[in-house]
Formats: sequence, C-alpha cells, structure tokens
Amino acid sequence: MAKEIFMPKLSSTMETGTLLQWFKEEGDQVDVGDPVFEIMTDKINIEVEAYEEGILLKRYYGVDEEVPVNGIVGYIGKEGEEVPDQPGETPEDPAVEKAEEKEAVIENTSSSETEVSSDKKVRATPAARKKAGETGVPLHTLQGSGPNGRIHKKDVEVSGQQQERVTPLAEKVAADKGVDLAGVQGSGPNGKIYRRDVELPAEEQVPAAETISTAYEGTRRFIGDRMQQSSSEIPHVTLNTEIDASVLKKMRAELLPVIEKKTGKRLSYNDILVKALGEVLISHPQVNATFENNSITRHQESHIGIAVAADFGLMVPVLRDVEKKSLSLIVQESKELAVKAREGRTRPDDMKQGTFTISNLGMYAVDHFNPIINQPQAAILGVGRLHDKVIAVNGTAEVRPVLSLSLSFDHRIIDGAPAAAFLTELKEKLESPYQLLI
Amino acid sequence: MREITYAEAVREGLSQRMREDSDVFVLGEDIGVYGGAFGVTRGMIEEFGPERIRNTPISEAAITGAAVGAALTGMKPVLELQFSDFITIAMDQLVNQAAKVRYMYGGKGHVPMVVRTPSGSGTGAAAQHSQSLEAWVAHIPGLKVVQPSTAYDAKGLLKAAMEDPNPVIFYEHKVLYKSKSDVPEEEYTIPLGKADVKKEGTDVTIIATAIMVHKALEAAEELEKRGISVEVVDPRTLVPLDEETIIASVSKTGRVIIVHEAVKRGGFGGEIAGVIAESEAFDYLDAPIRRLGALPIPVPYNPVLEKAMIPQVEDIIKAVEETMRGA
Repeated sequence: MAKEIFMPKLSSTMETGTLLQWFKEEGDQVDVGDPVFEIMTDKINIEVEAYEEGILLKRYYGVDEEVPVNGIVGYIGKEGEEVPDQPGETPEDPAVEKAEEKEAVIENTSSSETEVSSDKKVRATPAARKKAGETGVPLHTLQGSGPNGRIHKKDVEVSGQQQERVTPLAEKVAADKGVDLAGVQGSGPNGKIYRRDVELPAEEQVPAAETISTAYEGTRRFIGDRMQQSSSEIPHVTLNTEIDASVLKKMRAELLPVIEKKTGKRLSYNDILVKALGEVLISHPQVNATFENNSITRHQESHIGIAVAADFGLMVPVLRDVEKKSLSLIVQESKELAVKAREGRTRPDDMKQGTFTISNLGMYAVDHFNPIINQPQAAILGVGRLHDKVIAVNGTAEVRPVLSLSLSFDHRIIDGAPAAAFLTELKEKLESPYQLLI
Repeated sequence: MREITYAEAVREGLSQRMREDSDVFVLGEDIGVYGGAFGVTRGMIEEFGPERIRNTPISEAAITGAAVGAALTGMKPVLELQFSDFITIAMDQLVNQAAKVRYMYGGKGHVPMVVRTPSGSGTGAAAQHSQSLEAWVAHIPGLKVVQPSTAYDAKGLLKAAMEDPNPVIFYEHKVLYKSKSDVPEEEYTIPLGKADVKKEGTDVTIIATAIMVHKALEAAEELEKRGISVEVVDPRTLVPLDEETIIASVSKTGRVIIVHEAVKRGGFGGEIAGVIAESEAFDYLDAPIRRLGALPIPVPYNPVLEKAMIPQVEDIIKAVEETMRGA
C-alpha cells in the first residue's frame, strides 16, 4: 500500500509550509531517512525525511507551492501502485493522529489547527479530473460551471490559461514581435514573464535597477503577522533608562582576552547584558512571565531569546537556563546560536520556550527604541548604542560611556512599578557589573 | 446504384442466398401466397416453391423448434415470426435449445438459423404487437442479435446472419420497411459486430439503434444549425457489440447519449452505458452518460400516447442540449 507523505506540523502556529525544493524525482527509490523535500515554515527551512521505504510515486506540489499542515505532499509505495491524481483530502483522524505521532518527537503539538484546506469532495467530470491531473491545476480551487458547481473540462482549461505565467501585456508584445514565449525566461515570481523579458532576448537581459516586488509570504509573512498581532493585542508600555557603562566597559575589556582564550570567541556587551538579565529575571518573576490562553505563567528559569538579524529576516533563538550559566558559557552558546540563525539552520526547538527577549541595535546609531514584545512573553529589552555622553557625576559634568535600555512590557499582566523595579535593578547590576560574579 | 426499400432489401438478400445455397429455406406464418405480415416474402413462393417457402401452423414454439431441428440436421432455416412480441412463445426453443446445443455438445452440433422478426411501435398495433424486446435475447449467451436501421445494412447483415453457424435474432423494424436507401444489386456481407458511424461529429456522440438512428440523424441536423456537432453511431448488432467504435467515439466527444426504442428500464442502453463507464472512455467523459428509452408502460394504442411513449426527435435535441450544458 502506498503511504502518504504529509506536510509536517513543526510548530503550534504553523498552518502551511512552502515547498522549496524536491530532492527526489517521481520514480526514484527512497529509503527511510532520506530527505525527500525541503520546506520553509515558521522562520525555518527544514528537510523532510521519508518515513517509508519505496518508490516516490507521486509529487502533488511544485516548488513555491503552499501545502496545508498534514496535507498530502506525495506518496511512497511500490513500483506501479496506483495513487490518486489529486492529493485530495487528508483522511480525517488517522492521518492527523499519524502526523502528530511523527511530530511528537519534535514537539508536543497542541491539538488545534489540524484542519485541511478543503473538507468538501470535489464534483468534477472524469474528463475534468484527467485534464487537471495532466496540467496540475488543483481542482478544489476551481469554480465549476456545471450544475451544483460540477467542474467540466473547459473549466480546467480556462483556469490553466489563466495560470499561464505571462502578463497580458507581455503576451501582446510577444505576439507583435513574433517571440515564442516558450523560449523566454520570466523574471517575475515563479518565472512569470513580464514585458521586459519579451523585449530583451535572454542573453541581453541585464539586471535593471527596477523596483522588485516580492510576495508577502514565508518567513517574512510569519514575522510580520506575529509583529502585527503583538502590536495590536498587547498594550505596550516602554520604559527608557540610561546606564553609566564606565565599569561595564572596563570589565569587558579585562574579561575579553580571558574568555577569548578559553572559548575562542569574543565577549560582547550583549553577552554581559544576557548574563545580567539571567539573574535579574529570577528575582522578578512578574517580568519573567508568559501570557497564554488567559493564563499567566511566572517562570523559575531565565530562557532568554536573542534577536538575530539574518538575511531572510528576524530570528530569535533561545538561550536556556541563563541564570545557571557562566559568562564564558553564555558567550560560547550565544555565538553558536547566532551563527546557526544567520545560516538559516535554527531548528524549531531552538526558538521555543523563551521567557524574555533581548533585542540589541547597539551596533547602529540608535540611542533607544520601543521594541515589540515577542508573544507570549511579557516583556522585551531593547538595547541602544554605547557612546560617550556628558553626564552629571557628583555635581560635575563628566564624559562617560552611556548605554540606553528600553523595556517594553505587557501592561495587561505587568504594572508600571514592578517593571520599573526590574529595570532599576538591571541598571544597578550593569553599573556595578562585578556583582554578577558574586 | 438503385434505391430499394428495407423490405425489398431483405427479400433480395434472402432470395439471392437461396439461389446460391440450397440448404437455406424459409418458414413462418402466412409467408407463402400472402407474403407474410409485412409482405417481405411476397413473390418468393412463386420462385422457390412451397418446399422452401413453408407456411406453418400458428405456433411460434413449433416454428422455432422445427427450425432448431432442421438446423441441427444440416439445413439453414430462416424463420419469420410475424411480430417480435411473439418471440416470448418461442423463448424456450431459443434460449434452452438453439442457444445451448453447440456449447453443451462440445461443438459437435451447431444451429445455423436466423429468426427474422419485426419489432417496434408506430403502426398503431398496440401493446402486444409493438414491443422492442431485443434486450431479452441479448442477455442469452449463444444468441446473436442484429438490428439493422437501413435497407443497405439489412441486406448485408442478413447475408452475414445466414452464413453464421449460430442462431441469430434478426430484428426488422416495421416502420422502416418502407424506408429506402442505395443498395447494391449483388450480394455483399456486413460482418456482425461492426458498428457504423452514420454521421461524424465532435461534440457529442449519440448511440442509436434501429429507428432511433433516423431520429438521431434528424436531431443531429437540427443541432448542427445550433452549433453542436453530433456523431451518430449505429451499433447495428447488439451481440456481438462493437465496443471499440463506441469507446473511440465517446473518447473523442466526451459526451454520450444512448437512444433506443425499447423501454429504458433494463434496456440494452444500460449495457452500452456500462461498457463506456468501464472503458478508457471514462476518463474523457465530461458529462454524465445519458439514456433515452421508452417509458415503462405497455405500448398504448392511442397514436398520440404511442408517440409520447418513445423518444422523439425533440427529446433527443433536448437531451443533447442538456448534456452540452453538463446537466
């Protein structure tokens, strides 16, 4: 019996996965554990491995197509076995169970969000189904012209024409110039052919300084939607403070060679900030909290998310149990997490269960900013640049290195005073950072 | 070529064979001087004499039983049943004897006989003289079933039927006896099991038998004016059935309407629909298979009701248009 390959559910918020590439062709031999295809999901790209051994019988989706979680992406089975032309519906319970079983290794999924896109059986004539199978048009996306919405062959053909990846203008220009569109490489999304592609023969095409539109999808969309949701759901309050970083600067300068010798990695201010946060969060469980399903959880451990700017977008890997870790271990681990994040190798596990997040823009000319809380966490610390400023010290104006901190908190679950107390203690710790060694 | 009627074509085919093959003889009720109920054998007794044009008592069972016996002993009888409704009386001889002997005796005996019998309504002959019961015999392994729709087909198919070593039920349509077409004077054979595409088309296939072939062609002509290209396929023989031609046509057009005069329920149209649905033509179907047949009632005597009972040209046009809309 041919076995389905499902779109795995890799996180509680994942609803669809975008196919990035296939590693196997239809007809290829597949062994258990072989990567079959790669998907882009919540913030990550991941290779999906085969759970079965056999021949890859069917691939239902092409590159860049979105597949609902637990949707059937393909089939593995014996040579010559019959599989449906269309991915069809995911069989109700067994598939969900099966898929979740598989995913259980990765995470304990919440049982919600296992719906599949179409729950209605498609009404289509055999000829329409055959045509759809040949052209790869998903029948459930079509509106049939027959009685009760029955899809006829011509409905599939019309949709196939619409899906041709060429703009009407490009088509017209091509017709005028007698250009065969089959030989034109489109420069648009999914190789869509624009007028410029038709006007310039392929070899003469130069990357023009034109505005490029890309679809709001994948990682970008995931980040964006989360930001939107957090920004609109949470009453954000941001507290700003500046710290005198004279001692901090001195301490870093002294520890840097020591830690570099031990770990091979350079100590950053951010590492010291993480260290300090790890301690201060433990004594402020009101801030070290998460808010989910009308329930506030105050955490006994500091799992600190560190915002990392990767080329493809913002990643927030989590450094766990920070309060138990030495500075050198923090340096070691946070650098490893950052490298993985920039290379897109962050696993879903690496981004889970954070209790607080730090976002550092200190390398830019940013004094302070109002960070958006990383849900379901209760607060986030924004870190500005460290630079010399004239400040009053014991009644005299002195030039001191100053670092600005901004704490955004969720006023639904934290009030101003405890948030201020947290920030104040953090400021004290960072102004006298040797306390961290106690 | 000259035009002759369907009845003349049958007579000519029969006579030509009898001149060539002395084993062929005809038996039936009033087929001698009277020329049979529809005049098909008129004049034949003068040429062939009462030995070979044999009048019989009014007993279909006896006529058929005698024919089976004659066939088993080397003759090639052609028997006429005045109305195909009376085939019910001959059924035991046909089903339990004629159809079985060759099989039951391992091919040692065979039954080369032809049952000529007029079927169909349209003559005001009412419930017991107007039926189309071809599906009854088509169900019986060992019987071949022929339904010619034109004079040309009738002559060619009759020769094939007379030369066939198996019992063949040869349905002639009463209303078609007077229809004319070009028929060659010399003998020719149309093999059993070879359908005829009476008209080529691209949008929809009508599979029609006997008189319905003509109604389908008339409907096709009107539909052509409305921009619908109709292909009309005449199976000509139900057993054996030319599945290949049917499947090819339906695969081409993707839509099919099956029309026969017999009652739709349990009619041969269901068999044809099944053949299509089971074949590769299924993948090309772009509308439900549709059957047109008579209403499930005895044929009424009232000519208006008699007409209303069976599919007419307008019914076929309507069915085609609905099928084209996907209804």
